Amino acid sequence: MKAALARWLHRMRPLFYGPDAKYGWAWPLFEGAETFLLTPAERTHQGAHVRDRMDMKRLMIFVVYAMVPCILAGWYNIGRQAFLGEGVADWTVIDAILRGGWHMLPIIAVSYAVGGLAELVFCIVRKHEINEGFLVTGMLFPLTLPPTTPLWMVAAGIVFGVVIGKEVFGGVGMNVLNPALTARAFVFFAFPAALSGARVWDVAGEPWPPFGPAAPVIDAYTGATPLLALSNADPGPNAIAALQAHGWTFWDLALGDVPGSMGEVSAVAAALGALFLVVTGLASWRIIVGCVVGVVGCTLLVNGFAGPDSPALWHVPVHYHLVLGGFAFGAAFMATDPVTASATQLGRWIYGIAIGFLCVLIRVVNPAYPEGMMLAILFMNVFAPLVDYYVVRAGARRRAARLAG
Amino acid sequence: MVLRPAIREGERVGRGGALLFEKGEQELVLRSPVAGTLREIRRGPRRVITDVIVETDPHGPEAPLPAYDLEGIRALDRASAIGVLMRSGWWPALRTRPLNLVPSPSLPADQLQSVLISATETGPLMPGAASLLDPDDAEPLQAAVRLLQRIAPRVVLTTSGPHPALDRLEGVEVHTFRGPHPAGDPAVQVNLVDPPRGSGQVWTLRAWDAASLGRTLLTGRFSAERVIAAVGTGVVQPRFVRTVLGAPIRDVVGEVRAGEQRYILGSVLTGVAVSPDRWTAFGSRAVHVLPEAVDQDLFGWARPMLGVWSFYAAFAKGLFDVRPPGGVDMRPGRYGGVRAIIPMGAYEKVVATPDIEPEFLFKALSIGDLEESLRLGMLDLSEEEAALCTYVCPSKIQIDVLLREGLAQYRREAG
Repeated sequence: MKAALARWLHRMRPLFYGPDAKYGWAWPLFEGAETFLLTPAERTHQGAHVRDRMDMKRLMIFVVYAMVPCILAGWYNIGRQAFLGEGVADWTVIDAILRGGWHMLPIIAVSYAVGGLAELVFCIVRKHEINEGFLVTGMLFPLTLPPTTPLWMVAAGIVFGVVIGKEVFGGVGMNVLNPALTARAFVFFAFPAALSGARVWDVAGEPWPPFGPAAPVIDAYTGATPLLALSNADPGPNAIAALQAHGWTFWDLALGDVPGSMGEVSAVAAALGALFLVVTGLASWRIIVGCVVGVVGCTLLVNGFAGPDSPALWHVPVHYHLVLGGFAFGAAFMATDPVTASATQLGRWIYGIAIGFLCVLIRVVNPAYPEGMMLAILFMNVFAPLVDYYVVRAGARRRAARLAG
Repeated sequence: MVLRPAIREGERVGRGGALLFEKGEQELVLRSPVAGTLREIRRGPRRVITDVIVETDPHGPEAPLPAYDLEGIRALDRASAIGVLMRSGWWPALRTRPLNLVPSPSLPADQLQSVLISATETGPLMPGAASLLDPDDAEPLQAAVRLLQRIAPRVVLTTSGPHPALDRLEGVEVHTFRGPHPAGDPAVQVNLVDPPRGSGQVWTLRAWDAASLGRTLLTGRFSAERVIAAVGTGVVQPRFVRTVLGAPIRDVVGEVRAGEQRYILGSVLTGVAVSPDRWTAFGSRAVHVLPEAVDQDLFGWARPMLGVWSFYAAFAKGLFDVRPPGGVDMRPGRYGGVRAIIPMGAYEKVVATPDIEPEFLFKALSIGDLEESLRLGMLDLSEEEAALCTYVCPSKIQIDVLLREGLAQYRREAG
């Protein structure tokens, strides 16, 4: 079957390849489909005769594999939070999975379909091969969205992320900002009502079964995310009490039994993904550890300055910050994007620590944005080249001094 | 080197007689490994000599060279030592750091920091001291060291462990290098032992070439015997062949598998693909034969691919360091599309030269920014390291080609 497929693709090839090809414009599409099905048969002509079997497609699909725990945890959680919000007691795991899928899968499908189309159009116009980095962007972006996001907003966001975040710079490897976060920032600032406040983070009150009657949300249920609940809490050292008022323990936050963005709720799932990425060598452990160090450092600092009248967020202990909001997901999948992170070993430490530090700083001192991870990463994306510049300069100076005549 | 023929086509040459000499340096010669008749001199682009074909005559005469004992070598002054080395026919086995060229004999004495004799080899399937050096090479090696001591203020020997031919050498500073490739690369060793400073140079020489040089000095007979490895998936019977320099490639590799094959002189990383109808080169230690047919795998990018050889832990081999059963089937496939550089941290793991930020050096090289490339250590990076970067690059960027182009540009502009 493989041989037959290879023969068939070989026969089709002249239709797409070369200056006189009938469908030459569609070459990126054909090339993408061919290498999607079969590993390429190209041989080396210059340079080292043999090459590793690792390529960009495998790299990117492995990052998607690493997201599987987050996808599953988020998927189940959407259904669970909806039933909790409606006060339904007799729901089963199957119900939660069905209900979660009903809301999550269309968003992922739209992200991949519309973003993929934008990517393809760009590749055809620019005549370059399809960037498989989109496999990651197309999954990361929906995971950062609340499950109530309208599909047209998902489409607008992913197109913005792909085109403005990546393709205008020349594609994967040339972009300054993480495309998925660019997309997220775009919808966050363009449609703030859909991505902030208390009533967007779960699908309680939406019709279930689909097109059936909508169940009312119970009175005691606010739908706020833990960070929002903390930012609305009374000033003083009552952060944990504020969370407990919603029925959330540390382990609820860590495992993801809270409302929030689809893929970001479970810090444990994100940690599993991070572990997979580090073991397979696809993410820098320095960045991830740096993020944690930054959070710890900044939180201890803020805790130290917090007085009895300081906002509740100032009193949040270190281990809570690590499981709150999008920190774990961002540290595992967004900060480690090798293109937009620092590319030097020392730079990766600086970059990671700064992200963790800024994340907590934005959370506690900026009342407008209780979630700080997105902005912290985007901010450091911009500064990563500067960090690298100084690290590389220092290395060159060290080298020059060592080899001085 | 710019080589000129020392004899004309149709003329006879004795075993060890001069075939070619360096333009402007009559004494710097390449010697004939066999006696016979010069059949043909083939030239490539810009009339560069590529092949010198000698029809062998087993009963032909020997062209004798002066023989020395260890004391005689010790008595030489620097200028005559350089002359002896050039006339021995083994000068072209020397390489400079930086730039990896055959050194100029007129380099001022104060610019030669040291000579590094490397008895290490870590390249894939490349034969090293264990197969190329015999215990009775100890004396020839000592002779070569004595000669090099007359030329350079410092002679360094690098080994990967004890060897009867190396353990009792006098007058060398010994350094031990162990670990994966490129630990055995002489250029990397130079960067760690005695990096070239300012306009200084370090010359490198492989220990087995040094042994041949020493034998030539001690016996007065050009030592052309050589062990060459025939390896790679395409070779039916991988083997060592004891032959002479310049042996025909087909004779060395023997029977090969069916189908189109790639013949590589040297390693699969830095070797040169040649026609099997040609000959092994001066200094050749291995001929690789790789089948050109590259297998295609259905959804190979998304599957575990358990049996695949890889540097990366995204394959079982890279994660658990297990060898695929039945050996590694290396093929000259590219295995992926060319993409922009993604700084994954893979280059750093195969570059052993200190103070190099590979991604930034390669970006500077790829845009032809010579000044920045020099600042970032273009001259330090060895060809083996660059080839390893090419091998591991998931974006399929040919770092070694970039380095070669950068060095060529440097030589053009530096004159």
